[in-house]
Amino acid sequence: MLSVDLLLATCLGYVVLLFAIAFVVDRRTRRRPIQWLQSPVIYTLSISVYCTSWTFYGAVGSAARNGLEFVAIYLGPTLVFLGWWWLLRKLVRIGRAHRVTSIADLISSRYGKSPSLAVLVTAIVVLATTPYIALQLQSLTRSYQVIDTDAGGFATAFWIAAGMALFTILFGTRNLDADERHHGVVAAIALEAIVKLVALIAVGVFATYVVAGGLSDVFADVDIQALGGEDIFGPRWMTLIFLSATAIICLPRQFQVTVVENIDESHLRTASWLFPLYLFGISIFIMPIALVGLQTMPGSANPDLYVLTIPLANQSYELALLAFLGGFSSATSMVIVATIAVSTMVSNHIVMPVVLRFLSADEAVSGDVRNLLLLTRRISIAIILGLGFLYFWLSGGSGALAAIGLIAFVGVAQFMPSLIGGIFWRGATRAGAIAGLVVGFVFWAYTLFLPSFEGQFLLSAEVLANGPWGLAALRPQALFGLQGMDPLVHAVVWSVGANALVFLIVSSLTTASMLERLQAALFVDVFRSAGGAPSRVASTTAGAEDLFVLAQRILGTGPARRLFDEMAQEQGLHRELPHATDAVIARLERELAGSIGAASAHAMVQRIAGRETVGMTDLIDIADETQQLIETTRQLAEKSEELERTAKALRTVNERLRSLDAQKDDFVSQVSHELRTPMTSIRSFSEILMEDDGVSPKNRSRFVGIIHEESRRLTRLLDELLDMSRLETGAADLQLGPIDVADAVQTALDALAGTTHKAGIKVSTAIEDGVPHVRANGDRLRQVLMNILSNAVKYNISDEPEILVRTRVKNQSVWIDVIDNGGGVTREDAAVIFEKFARGSRADRDQGAGLGLPICRAIMRAMGGDVTVEFARDGTSFFRVILNMDTQRDARSNETAEAERAVNKALAE
Amino acid sequence: MSDPRDTLRSRRKQRDRSMVLVLVGIALFVPPIVGVSQIDAKIGGVPVPLLFVFGAWALLIVAAFFLADRLSDGEPPSAEAKPNGGED
Repeated sequence: MLSVDLLLATCLGYVVLLFAIAFVVDRRTRRRPIQWLQSPVIYTLSISVYCTSWTFYGAVGSAARNGLEFVAIYLGPTLVFLGWWWLLRKLVRIGRAHRVTSIADLISSRYGKSPSLAVLVTAIVVLATTPYIALQLQSLTRSYQVIDTDAGGFATAFWIAAGMALFTILFGTRNLDADERHHGVVAAIALEAIVKLVALIAVGVFATYVVAGGLSDVFADVDIQALGGEDIFGPRWMTLIFLSATAIICLPRQFQVTVVENIDESHLRTASWLFPLYLFGISIFIMPIALVGLQTMPGSANPDLYVLTIPLANQSYELALLAFLGGFSSATSMVIVATIAVSTMVSNHIVMPVVLRFLSADEAVSGDVRNLLLLTRRISIAIILGLGFLYFWLSGGSGALAAIGLIAFVGVAQFMPSLIGGIFWRGATRAGAIAGLVVGFVFWAYTLFLPSFEGQFLLSAEVLANGPWGLAALRPQALFGLQGMDPLVHAVVWSVGANALVFLIVSSLTTASMLERLQAALFVDVFRSAGGAPSRVASTTAGAEDLFVLAQRILGTGPARRLFDEMAQEQGLHRELPHATDAVIARLERELAGSIGAASAHAMVQRIAGRETVGMTDLIDIADETQQLIETTRQLAEKSEELERTAKALRTVNERLRSLDAQKDDFVSQVSHELRTPMTSIRSFSEILMEDDGVSPKNRSRFVGIIHEESRRLTRLLDELLDMSRLETGAADLQLGPIDVADAVQTALDALAGTTHKAGIKVSTAIEDGVPHVRANGDRLRQVLMNILSNAVKYNISDEPEILVRTRVKNQSVWIDVIDNGGGVTREDAAVIFEKFARGSRADRDQGAGLGLPICRAIMRAMGGDVTVEFARDGTSFFRVILNMDTQRDARSNETAEAERAVNKALAE
Repeated sequence: MSDPRDTLRSRRKQRDRSMVLVLVGIALFVPPIVGVSQIDAKIGGVPVPLLFVFGAWALLIVAAFFLADRLSDGEPPSAEAKPNGGED
């Protein structure tokens, strides 16, 4: 038999070791951080406070009763840590940026530093943690009773509770660390984490390979029933995964070690796989231990204690001692961290506001708040452990361990909607969070917490079975007739479901206050804001002395002095107190929040600094930041679009340049060609004249005539080219003036009268009456009209040639159409006849250089008009000259007419 | 990876992978997939459901290990604290 004395001596030695580690680390860290204690491995080990005695003893019991079900409790946290980048990293960043001290602080801070929300969360935490602590006391007591069979249950539990209260008070409340970190405690629980892992694996190996003959032996007679039967992976399995996933975030002690005690955000990266690995290691031998226990232990043995009783039954006392230490470690580490976390909440969110209410503003400054806080924390620790003990006593130490743990899980799962909603959804409001929490809490208490007393507390057995006042619809475990469900699934569906829905509905129906909106922006966009973003703006009625005294009272003289010196230096002051600017007040509030929580810090500073004024400008600043980001993104997108457009435009221009270049080459070769033909004949005829004296005078004069004619053609061509280039470059300064269309047409026709008459062409005009004057150059317009008319004459192949010139007035322009019945222009020709040297298909070489129509177009365009080829409905084509109306002239002519009439009238009189 | 855009892209890729890993984990452990393992058979003396749950779990941890390693590439937290230097 394992002697009680040895057990007690070992335990005492172990406890002394823990005290020593905590003490040494605390002391040394105060001077200089110990490098290897700042490592991600220690951080991960401290997170394993998740594995309490519920895991150490209870998981085996659960495996013995329900098969694989226990694994679900570790799969949830595994999934959360796998997704650390998305949730845990944000929580840690928020925790660091806002000096968050607890989950209650985080939630209240997010929803406008609401004190009522902080109180509500704290109350739920206390209620949910109490059974959990009772569970640790119970398992410790039972494991002790296994060895010391004479020990009284409650007396043992009492002494255990007292011992843990002492440790927690000593190391958990040594100071009001500005960032609430407890290096000594973390070091101690890291050691405990190793002890419990080693102990459990040792017992597992012993059971599997010593008691049984190896894995195949262990599972030899195991069928699917032993692993939990057919519906093991049913709703309860999923509920457990969900609950454990929320618990790893929402449990106060997990929040404490994961977020508050985090010293370096990058530690999460290691924890993301190391913590799941730790859970894996803890779980791997649970099933074999349970099976070996079921196979070898007597039926009366409690499966919850197999870890301890299997080594004992096999006379392996050293292993039993190790197992006991493992269980002891699991229980104590949980209780210590949980009480630290909860006592912080109680003192910050329940005691501080009350104290603040009873102290006048002056006293808040002069009273020794620091000592008061430490004292309330110590008392809170004692009270919380006392409550745990009371629960253990009231529930009579009954019930399987796992059931009690799950009650706590569902309790803290109520924070999940407000927490997740708060950090990912700006629209979540304080009213929504409070409503959701209250509803969820009520459902939790009614469907799970109170029934856990099995009729001993508040709800009688009668009510549990038949509902209050015999109303079957209100039966706590079949609420509103929701029957046939596992009580746990039932409670989760009602409490978390109603909580989330009410949270969403109320949030969407209510409007957030200024401070809430500000905090919402800071929390949701924590990765975008620059760390120390302003958390408030206050009117600056505060005296710097008052603020300094307040800081001294809470932070302690040294840290307060350092903080104020630093702030003074930032303002360029030396050996003075800083001016109480908004920035200073905001900074001070943030520092204080690290010790007493955001809501209390806010209330305290507000007392001294006067009325809170979160101004619109402040909110706008925050909004601006987000806006800026959106703006930048938009601008980037725009710029790339613009670039694309520019590139496209450049491509078009380039194309055009290429084609212009080709056109130029074309033009040069055309010009050379056109010049070459007359030049050739001039040269050859002049050569004949020079070299051959025997040319008859008749021929001589004929040759000279040809030379002359060709020279004139050359000159004309050069004139046209010059004209063309002047018109195109805009160098030809056309004098524009009001021109009478009818006159212009008539002049052109008159000039060509000889030609038309000779060709026997019938010319008719249809000039509208009162056609307005156009803005043009008379000579040039005549040139254009004559060119087009002479073309009509030249290319008319009809037997009864006719030409019609008509006008039309359209909007601000006047059209002169030249229509003939002479065959017209084909559509193919229409596309090119305005190009230089591009004669139509019907033109022959001698009828000009092909510059007539291009010049016409150039002239018309220079006058703001145009000349085009139009096609009538019957497919015949005609030329249209488009001119601008002379609006000035019309107005003026009316005036002149008026004036003339007036003059005439005057003269007549 | 001298091109900063490559680094950025690969980081985003890693983040996407970490999200996918969570989804794969959920898919593996939630019915119906986990129910598939529920057969009364043993491999190497170990019942299949047990082997499936612990095997899937181990695979996820290994994947998380390699992913965490990659996610750490040149990404000091301080760089992210800068305005507009953040995530997403």
